Amino acid sequence: MINFKFADIGEGIHEGVILKWNYEVGDTVEEGETMVVVETDKVNAEIPAPDNGVLKQKGAEVGEEIHVGEVLAVIDDGSGDDDAEEAPKEEAKETNDDDDDEEEGASVVGAVETSNEVLPASDEHKKVERKEPSDRPALATPVARKLAKDLGVDIKTIEGTGPGGRVMKEDIRAAAEGEKEAPASDAPRPSGEAQTRPAMPKLPEEGVRREKVSKLRQSIVKAMDTSNQLIPATTIMDEIDVSKLVEFRNENKGLAKEHDAKLTYLPLIIKAVIKTLKQYPIFNASFDHENQEIVYKDFFNIGVAVDTPDGLIVPNIKNADQKSIFELASEIDRLAASARERSIGLSELQNTTFSVTNYGAFGAKLGTPVINHPETGILGIGAITKKPVVNDNDEIVVGHVLPLSLTIDHRVIDGGDGGRFMLQLKQYLNDPMLLLLS
Amino acid sequence: MLFDQYDPLKGEMFTVLDKDGKVVNKDYEPSIDDETLVHMYKTMQLARIADIKALQYQRQGRMLTFAPVQGQEASQVGPMAATEQKDWLVPAFREAAAMLYKGATLYQNYLYWYGNELGSQYDEGVNIMPVNVPIGSQINHAAGVAHAAKIKGTDEVAITYIGDGGTSNGEFHEGVNWGGVYDLPMVTIIQNNQYAISTPRSQATRAKTLAQKAHAYGIPGIQVDGNDALAMYAATSEAVKRARNGEGPTLIEAVTYRMGPHTTSDDPTIYRSEEEVNEWREKDPLTRFYKYLANRKLWNKEKDDALQEELKKFVADTFKQVENAPHPTLDEVFDYTYETLPKDLKRQKEAIRAYQEQQESGGDE
Amino acid sequence: MATMTLLKAINNALDQQLKNDKSVVLYGEDAGFEGGVFRVTAGLQKTHGKDRVFDTPISEAGIIGTAIGMASNGMRPVTEIQFSGFMFPGFNQMAVHMARMRNRSRGKYNLPIVVRMPYGGGVRALEHHSESLETLFAHIPGLKLVIPSTPYDAKGLMTAAIKDNDPVIYFEPKKIYRAFKQEVPEEEYEVEIGKARTVQEGSDITVVSWGAMLHETMKAIKEIGDDISVELIDLRTIAPMDSDAVVESVKKTGRLLVVHEAVKTLGIGSELISRVNEGAFFHLEAQPTRLTSPDITVPLPKGERHHIVDAPRIKQEIEKVAYFE
Repeated sequence: MINFKFADIGEGIHEGVILKWNYEVGDTVEEGETMVVVETDKVNAEIPAPDNGVLKQKGAEVGEEIHVGEVLAVIDDGSGDDDAEEAPKEEAKETNDDDDDEEEGASVVGAVETSNEVLPASDEHKKVERKEPSDRPALATPVARKLAKDLGVDIKTIEGTGPGGRVMKEDIRAAAEGEKEAPASDAPRPSGEAQTRPAMPKLPEEGVRREKVSKLRQSIVKAMDTSNQLIPATTIMDEIDVSKLVEFRNENKGLAKEHDAKLTYLPLIIKAVIKTLKQYPIFNASFDHENQEIVYKDFFNIGVAVDTPDGLIVPNIKNADQKSIFELASEIDRLAASARERSIGLSELQNTTFSVTNYGAFGAKLGTPVINHPETGILGIGAITKKPVVNDNDEIVVGHVLPLSLTIDHRVIDGGDGGRFMLQLKQYLNDPMLLLLS
Repeated sequence: MLFDQYDPLKGEMFTVLDKDGKVVNKDYEPSIDDETLVHMYKTMQLARIADIKALQYQRQGRMLTFAPVQGQEASQVGPMAATEQKDWLVPAFREAAAMLYKGATLYQNYLYWYGNELGSQYDEGVNIMPVNVPIGSQINHAAGVAHAAKIKGTDEVAITYIGDGGTSNGEFHEGVNWGGVYDLPMVTIIQNNQYAISTPRSQATRAKTLAQKAHAYGIPGIQVDGNDALAMYAATSEAVKRARNGEGPTLIEAVTYRMGPHTTSDDPTIYRSEEEVNEWREKDPLTRFYKYLANRKLWNKEKDDALQEELKKFVADTFKQVENAPHPTLDEVFDYTYETLPKDLKRQKEAIRAYQEQQESGGDE
Repeated sequence: MATMTLLKAINNALDQQLKNDKSVVLYGEDAGFEGGVFRVTAGLQKTHGKDRVFDTPISEAGIIGTAIGMASNGMRPVTEIQFSGFMFPGFNQMAVHMARMRNRSRGKYNLPIVVRMPYGGGVRALEHHSESLETLFAHIPGLKLVIPSTPYDAKGLMTAAIKDNDPVIYFEPKKIYRAFKQEVPEEEYEVEIGKARTVQEGSDITVVSWGAMLHETMKAIKEIGDDISVELIDLRTIAPMDSDAVVESVKKTGRLLVVHEAVKTLGIGSELISRVNEGAFFHLEAQPTRLTSPDITVPLPKGERHHIVDAPRIKQEIEKVAYFE
């Protein structure tokens, strides 16, 4: 059986219209005789029969369109039924096949494939949006990916310790050891300094007990190490009279309860911090020491340090600037609860822009909190205590004093900036009306 | 019609002045105003003197290899005088006299042969294509220039030059043929100076004349006494008129002689005789044109001596300027590769600059 | 927006530029009346007239040489060489004049010329109809060379090429003239010459290709699926090459594979690998590799399968480089 296809007869055409059949189904055709006339862009092509035989099927009727590569006629030349299936109008995707006329056509044109396949449109002339970094798949070599698959580990949940945050084979093996650890905040690899560590001095064998540190602790170790080695930090401290704030809070505790929110000082302080960050964007940035660039961020993910039995975790409140004080309060509660249950997701630990740590909850007042690299600052919040303060009339009265410790990355934030930040923060915390109204 | 009168196949060569500057073809003596005639002569003299001096400079090691035009001044200045400023000159590499008449300065001409591309940066409004070294390729350029004129509907004409040897090259055939196919405003002038380096004209082609090749392209061809400035003027003038009327291209063969070597690196005594050279010296284009002008009371010995002095000084001063001209800078040799340097090319340039600066400062140590 | 093939997109760009800029002319052998042997220039003579869209004698040197003259005299010629294998008689003009005129005349003359030629194999044609000679052009300072792989790029690059004030060689991958369609804006737009396109982002390996081979490469990547995260770059411009895009990509992935149909020795792959060596050496995790046709004359159709680089081979090579340790 011959499935005779309509060929590109060398004029660069890709389709034609049947003008006239010289034979009907059932007729015997003779090799070389004109079997059908097809009208194309350039010529009315007389197509001769490829062989002697009986015309079994026409590929198209008079007036119908036929594309190059489609079957024009099925001819039974008595050679057997191997291709005896119906010869439907295939999509003209194939190039002309073996039985085509490339020898006689050997048109200077050759055989150019035609099809109706449609490519996706290009958006090059439009502006392309920036992709959220957290949407990208985990960076890992195929070798690592294969290993993860073999060990049954989801590579996306693993914190990469390789270059650019790539997941290395060791990371995968460690994860596969069964511990479902929540990864620490992103601690990008320092530029090789951590490697050159002095050797551990010899400790006594007797009278000591060794305990392997947990994955969480390991990541905290790394984060602290990095911060310490990379960032020359300095802390600016101040004590702020928050008497008005305390009053405000007491007055509105009830209102908050009605809205299912617990109005502690932390959400209020965070609100004040965000307002101040907006005015001093260097505190809501990162310093890219490789490219010597400051990376300013227009989003505000405020990290809140949470103390858990296994160690310190710092999840962040995403886009905290868009949340109300009640919403901030709820978020803080939620994150704290999740952190203690060890159900914090990786994304909740990533992309923090500025952190606060409330060691005041344990009674501490002033401190020197450690910056979470690659942030440029961190605010340590101490316990509010009653203290004697000097009021505007030069009288000594009982005031509520909030100690704040602001650690800054002295490479990009100078003492002056730190002071100004603190001053502005102070103004908001001095007067809750200012906080709400501005 | 001039071209009908002088059939190259019949060996008929068109001439107006004999070698003594006497008009022997009154019918075709062109009417040129006095000022232009004198200007033509002065330009021919300038070309001659500049040529002689350049050869001297070269032998002194102060000038690089160049292609002398001695003996071919009339076949170049004559045609240029018959064109207008809007017309184009598409030269080969031995058209210094034509270029000087057309508006290239001697400074530019010397600067080019001295080895600086700025010599090809002719002034605004001067329609000369740069000197063309690959033989024959300029004919296709000329066809393109003429073709553009036709499409634009201006009546510019492209005059192009080639040597006798060049007519063997495929691009001569393609370019002249192209001009014929589209009836382009194009005049191709073959400077048949009898030699292609050492190869005599008879070995360039079996055809008896070069002008008769025009028949193959269906265009008129004429053989002209190339040392006769007036005949060259007249023939070109006719050809240009045809072209402007949309009648198509013409082929002109200027029969002349290369008095000097092919280039300064060539020794013509190897392949030609002193007698032959002397024979042609009798037919010198400058001598006969001088006599023609003198007969018309437009020129005399006194003026000529003064001119020679003036030109010698001008040439010497110009060459000094060229010698003192700054060499191309690093930026100049890079920045004209494209309209804007691509990133990587810029980096390559800066890398070389850094190296050069390092070498300079290192040298101080 | 209209959906069109690569061939139609070129026609569209030519039509638009002939309309918008009267200094544009278009010519070549059989390019006028018939519209070219592939019909790329179909209908243009009818629309814009015989003076501006015309047929020429069989004279490649003439085609390029006259373009140089035309461009020097105010026109913007778009010329066609019928097949890239036939460009050699015109190569003299391209190499010794077209590439150099700006430099030679210190900017007095510049040549806004486009030379179009169908190129590349996979069409089972006669001898000389399947060459892939981009290296020859890339090696000559002063020329530009672009190769579109999609209808969108074809129109954008042609428009940019015509507007460019320097000579641009425009290779048309004939294998994919009609192999697919794409939405193409109807208004005038350009695709920047000298800028590569990231077809898809990835993190495991950078694969670079162009022309028809790009689509073969995409087939291979589809086969690979999620196992390897491939960053695929369509080089689009061979000269001036956007090697920076490739270098930046390799800094991210650490691995490079270049796939081209031109022969191996001194093919564009060798240049890209050199540049990646210069710019991203310390990021490499595997040997930068090229997959190309072998150094043989393109076989006549019956032997073409020995010569061709197809999707299965590309897939294998990607895996080899991606999994290399």
